[in-house]
Amino acid sequence: MDDAFWYEAAYVVGMTNALNVAADGLAAVPGDEPALAPVDEATPPEEARELFDEIRTFYASSEVPLPFRFMAHDPRYAAEVWGAVKRAFSEHRLARRLKEALAFAVSLTSRSPWGTAFHLREMRRLGVGPRGVMEILGVTQMFSSYTKIADTLQLEPDMSDIAPVDRSPAPGGVARP
Amino acid sequence: MPTVRLRDASEYPEPARKLFELSRGWFNFEFEQPPAMSRVMAWDLEVGGPHGRAMRRAMGPGEFARSEKEMVAAVVSGVNACPY
Repeated sequence: MDDAFWYEAAYVVGMTNALNVAADGLAAVPGDEPALAPVDEATPPEEARELFDEIRTFYASSEVPLPFRFMAHDPRYAAEVWGAVKRAFSEHRLARRLKEALAFAVSLTSRSPWGTAFHLREMRRLGVGPRGVMEILGVTQMFSSYTKIADTLQLEPDMSDIAPVDRSPAPGGVARP
Repeated sequence: MPTVRLRDASEYPEPARKLFELSRGWFNFEFEQPPAMSRVMAWDLEVGGPHGRAMRRAMGPGEFARSEKEMVAAVVSGVNACPY
């Protein structure tokens, strides 16, 4: 498996956490703190209307995911974050359904109630059935077990030689001689 | 440095060595010694046996391919900040 797959996976993990920290972290902020209250979907700032429409289209939903409603207090910032999220979750080398499965596993592992529910819904929307959901739950549980056993015993990596090194350059770049 | 001394495969009883053969087949790779985690899980086969079977059931092909599940496993390990 070449490195491009892993770069895509890493971007998904990063953007998943970025959305989860906002959604889960800000959910507990009292409602009388207007700077951190989610923007009303029906009456967003003028500059955020087009953005909200694009987000709804991407997720085929009538609702804008909560993190973007928090970010929409600064529409330019929200638009940049959305640009990164949209690119990270779009289909390139990895299928979108796998990206949502990765995001579900990440959310579950990091105990994000919002992320877990959101990405579970997305997985289902993209055609993953109950068996597929159970498979991702199983992998998440098993490797949450292995990692803690490894940490407790301070095991050192010993399987890095299994995969060959990808010698290709960065996209658009030049290969090393 | 590991908290415990990892035993060579030769220091394990026969049933555990059979597990190491399964491990070699699972990874399709010739290890000098079985991976550290395989040796840890073989310490008590009453834990390692069902744990390994649950892992293989979860990782086997289904709606998602094994390769896709290996990637899920990698990101879960990353989120858990586990260098192993």
